[in-house]
Amino acid sequence: MSRIEVRSLSKHFGPRTAVEGLDFDVGEGEVFGLLGPNGAGKTTTVRMLTGLLRPSSGGATVCGVALDGDGEALRSRVGLLTEQPGLYDRLTARENLRFFLKLHHRDTKQAWEAARRWMHRFGLGGREDDRCGTFSKGMRQKLALIRALLHEPQALFLDEPTSGLDPESARAVREAVGELAAEGRTVVLCSHNMGEVERLCARVAVVKGRLLAVGTVPELRRQTGVVEVHVEGSAGAAGEALGPIVPPCVWVAEAHVLRVTLAAGVSIPDVVALLVQARVRIHAVLPAQRALEDVYLELTRGSETEAT
Amino acid sequence: MSFRLHRALAVSWKEALDLRKNPGLLASMLALPAVLVLVPTGVVWAWLRNPDAVTFRSMALYYDPTLPLNADPVRFMIDKLVLDWFGVFLLMPVFVPILISSQSVAGEKERRTLEPLLAAPVSAAELVLGKSLASVVPAVAITWLSFAAFVAAVDAVAWPLVHGPVLPNGMWLFGVGVVAPLFAFLGNGLAVLVSARVGEARLAQQLSALVVLPLMGLVGGQLAGWIRAGAGYYAVQGAVVLVLDILLIQASVRLFDRERLVSRWT
Repeated sequence: MSRIEVRSLSKHFGPRTAVEGLDFDVGEGEVFGLLGPNGAGKTTTVRMLTGLLRPSSGGATVCGVALDGDGEALRSRVGLLTEQPGLYDRLTARENLRFFLKLHHRDTKQAWEAARRWMHRFGLGGREDDRCGTFSKGMRQKLALIRALLHEPQALFLDEPTSGLDPESARAVREAVGELAAEGRTVVLCSHNMGEVERLCARVAVVKGRLLAVGTVPELRRQTGVVEVHVEGSAGAAGEALGPIVPPCVWVAEAHVLRVTLAAGVSIPDVVALLVQARVRIHAVLPAQRALEDVYLELTRGSETEAT
Repeated sequence: MSFRLHRALAVSWKEALDLRKNPGLLASMLALPAVLVLVPTGVVWAWLRNPDAVTFRSMALYYDPTLPLNADPVRFMIDKLVLDWFGVFLLMPVFVPILISSQSVAGEKERRTLEPLLAAPVSAAELVLGKSLASVVPAVAITWLSFAAFVAAVDAVAWPLVHGPVLPNGMWLFGVGVVAPLFAFLGNGLAVLVSARVGEARLAQQLSALVVLPLMGLVGGQLAGWIRAGAGYYAVQGAVVLVLDILLIQASVRLFDRERLVSRWT
């Protein structure tokens, strides 16, 4: 069952388009990665889905609440870890957390005990009464994450949750994300850490002003793969045969090897069919196994090529 | 979005905690009341050290040419000073909220705490009320405490001549009890409005503080003898400020729009 349903979601700031026509679903208990270069519209998307910005067109339903519906209900069901921790430096960790518990009308002994457990787990035990201004970057990040979890949201939006954390703390956060998902909470993770995304996310969306691709990591690999075609004769001449392919694919020829980067929607049989049609003699077709980072770079660069 | 008082009070609670831990701001808040109490007390004290009747009569006649011959000109001047000083005293309930609210609203932008706050289920009206309470309540409390100190100090200094209390009188009680809180809302409303539009607490303070200029102009008019202050005069000021307060609150709530704040300041 979908906890987040995004339909043709767009946001314009005056003449500038931040995101256009986003469509994706995120299920209950799913960890969903939102990838894209800086300025791709990830933060704008998250801000719309957490009720901070109004969509220019399209819409979404988050935790059963439409974005143009009850903003109070929406914000009480989602948790947001922003890029900047945004803590009150003169206040202690306890006071920072209690303030948000009060806003959520959950300033109870039980809720504070839960907060303390998170603090211990993230290595902040015993620092409850220290001013946040004395905390390191990583400690601030962890406290901000606890603040996002305090009211037990159904959906969590985490912007770079392990940024600035030491490896041990980063692992603790990743484990916590996994547990939250296992409890049935939906987690949307914005990150540039591909290893983290690959480890944590069931599915990934790549955005760059628009949705470039969405699917599981293996699906994305297949969607955007590189294939090596070993041909008889000049690989460059064989590459020319790929001219009619839509959308266009980038290819590189080296002696008898043609390396074709598959554009979204183009599959290996499409490439082979064109080459055969052009009477290219094929000796071997080898799909390349690629890291998520390569897939991501290819998708985002591909969109630049299309734009130009 | 429905209004919940507990959320406005939570915002006030946080602001009060933050204020208590900001010694620089506390010091600037207390400097003005100290000056506004000590200066007129010092003037009365200086007058009474050398109460030359001829000099005081000519000063008194400048302000009231119909002053009876049997009237005590020193007492007249003390009463005149105390009456006019209320106009200066009103700077306090205006200025203290400007100091606090500029920090609490523009400070949220500077410290990058605005986005997590706006992501919480708190409405614009709750935020404005919470932040306003946290600045108006201390401002009014400081004004009332300063008034008590002013009454004690002026009466103690003037007692040897007057042989009775100069203050409190009806005008001051009405002014401090009713007009001063309205001025506190004015200072707060202006600071909230300006802070919602600019990104720095210091700039917000500087721009909001311009409101003291017309007030200083009015006090100047009183001292020049062009404006005759009294209970009615201050009541009219209070009524005008009440209208401004209502307009400022409405404008502040409109300016605390999430979309606007997030897209401009985060």
